[in-house]
Amino acid sequence: MEAIFTSIGELLNSLGPLIVLPVVITILGLILGMKLTQALRSGLTLAIAFVGIFLTVGLLGEKMAAIGSAFAERTGTGLDVIDIGWPAASALAFGTPVGNAIIPLGIVINILLIFLGITKTLDVDIWNFWHQAFIGAIVTFITGSFALGLTAAALNVVAALWLADWSQPLIERYFKLPGISFPHLQSAGYMFLAAPFALLLNKIPFLRKLHLDPDTIRKRIGILGEPIFLGLFIGVILAALAGQSLTDIILTGINVGAVMLLIPRMVGILMEGLTPVADAARKFMQKKAQGREIYIGLDSAVLIGSPAVIASGLLMIPVEIGMALLLAPLGNRTLPFIDLADGVFVTAMLAPLVAGDVLLTVILGGIVMGIGMIFTTLLAPAVTNMVATAGSIDIPAGYNQYTVMSDAAIPHSYIFYYIFQSPVVIALILSAVVLAVHFILSKKFVLGKVLFAEAEPKEKKK
Amino acid sequence: MKQVYLVCATGIATSSMLRIKIQDFLDEKGIEAEFFTYRVAEMFPERITADVIVATTSMPPEIQENFKVISGLPLLTGVGEQDVFDAIEKALTEK
Repeated sequence: MEAIFTSIGELLNSLGPLIVLPVVITILGLILGMKLTQALRSGLTLAIAFVGIFLTVGLLGEKMAAIGSAFAERTGTGLDVIDIGWPAASALAFGTPVGNAIIPLGIVINILLIFLGITKTLDVDIWNFWHQAFIGAIVTFITGSFALGLTAAALNVVAALWLADWSQPLIERYFKLPGISFPHLQSAGYMFLAAPFALLLNKIPFLRKLHLDPDTIRKRIGILGEPIFLGLFIGVILAALAGQSLTDIILTGINVGAVMLLIPRMVGILMEGLTPVADAARKFMQKKAQGREIYIGLDSAVLIGSPAVIASGLLMIPVEIGMALLLAPLGNRTLPFIDLADGVFVTAMLAPLVAGDVLLTVILGGIVMGIGMIFTTLLAPAVTNMVATAGSIDIPAGYNQYTVMSDAAIPHSYIFYYIFQSPVVIALILSAVVLAVHFILSKKFVLGKVLFAEAEPKEKKK
Repeated sequence: MKQVYLVCATGIATSSMLRIKIQDFLDEKGIEAEFFTYRVAEMFPERITADVIVATTSMPPEIQENFKVISGLPLLTGVGEQDVFDAIEKALTEK
């Protein structure tokens, strides 16, 4: 069995995402009832998006790496591992063998769990299965086994569904979104780690009195919410501290702005290809789940319009930079970079834990990302390998240069990274324990009902 | 030409999904419109020239009050899609 999986993994790897993904997506589209031309268009658009993504990820190549190293040396901070950001990471993760298989796998697992009656969440947001693919890719990297990578990804599909069930009542009450849940690891994973800290913070009334006004914050530093300005700002500061010449400082600023704008645009093309398939998948799943009481699982992006989330997300920019510097003596080498633009995903599901208090949300965010940042450095070899395999940047052997601040800092990424360092049997037992914890949380400690039952939303609603 | 702003958290993911679905609908109806995708964090009233804003996330109050904002959430969940399409059509065809 293992031999079969290994050869499948090797085959997928040697063909690469440009060939495998369009085929997988086209076939999936046909199974889900799309017309051949539609399905083919989706698959082809996806492949073309990959060409664009790999081209633009190349912008992060040699020159950026050189500036990162110069910055680390000259400032003595040692922060030389560059954060390539989630948009690039999503494409890299889908491009791995586990990523090629994750969408059909996720759909099948979800429907199965609905039928077994052990989850209420129907995750129609198939795009965000890439987070599970990312974890699977890390486990494949550690164990060298495609089968174990796929197993880890599958386990995390289940974990994410249970996290969504667990948090649903609190999220519904705070955001006034009935019938929707968020099996999106990039926010729910942080919430999982932050919940115990939030229980403590809510017991300190003094902190809540320092009320930070979301609107003021947004007006003051709102410009950093625009990727091109954030990119310019970070690029210029980085290059200046790295001791570059004036022209190079300006050029670096423009280049980072370009990375911040262009990679997401390419990922937008990926979404364009995926949308018709996602739509067909949603209809297919909803038909299968008909007559059951379900929550529709969506991207946590839906939550981000809340003023408290935006304001605390903007404040995460200085907090993440500060945390990186503070933790450098403890082994952090991650230089927060592209993912600085998306602090809102960190804060989206933390805000409800502290009834929308901006300061408390940022404190929670700081704790979660601080803990996470130690691991983003440790996960760098796995991410660097993904970048190298994709082939858009030449990386000297044995040289770890890249990580993904957002995803490597998700507890599930590093928990499974550690679990699968053990022998297979122990790793599987530990995984079962982790899953059992998620299951018990989702059944017995539901947020907003058992835990955080009294926390009332303070934010004014329209 | 009428302008439709599509707004989500990142200006990438859910706003792209909206664009595909709304474009298909408008093509069918023969209504022309220009699409722009934005991040919710970069929505400041003085810069908005949209005829209609479709957002997958809640919008700041000053935008809710001054512009035609339609929630695009039903296009993601599939529950109540037609109402959204009708509202968009109405916003783009009335003078």
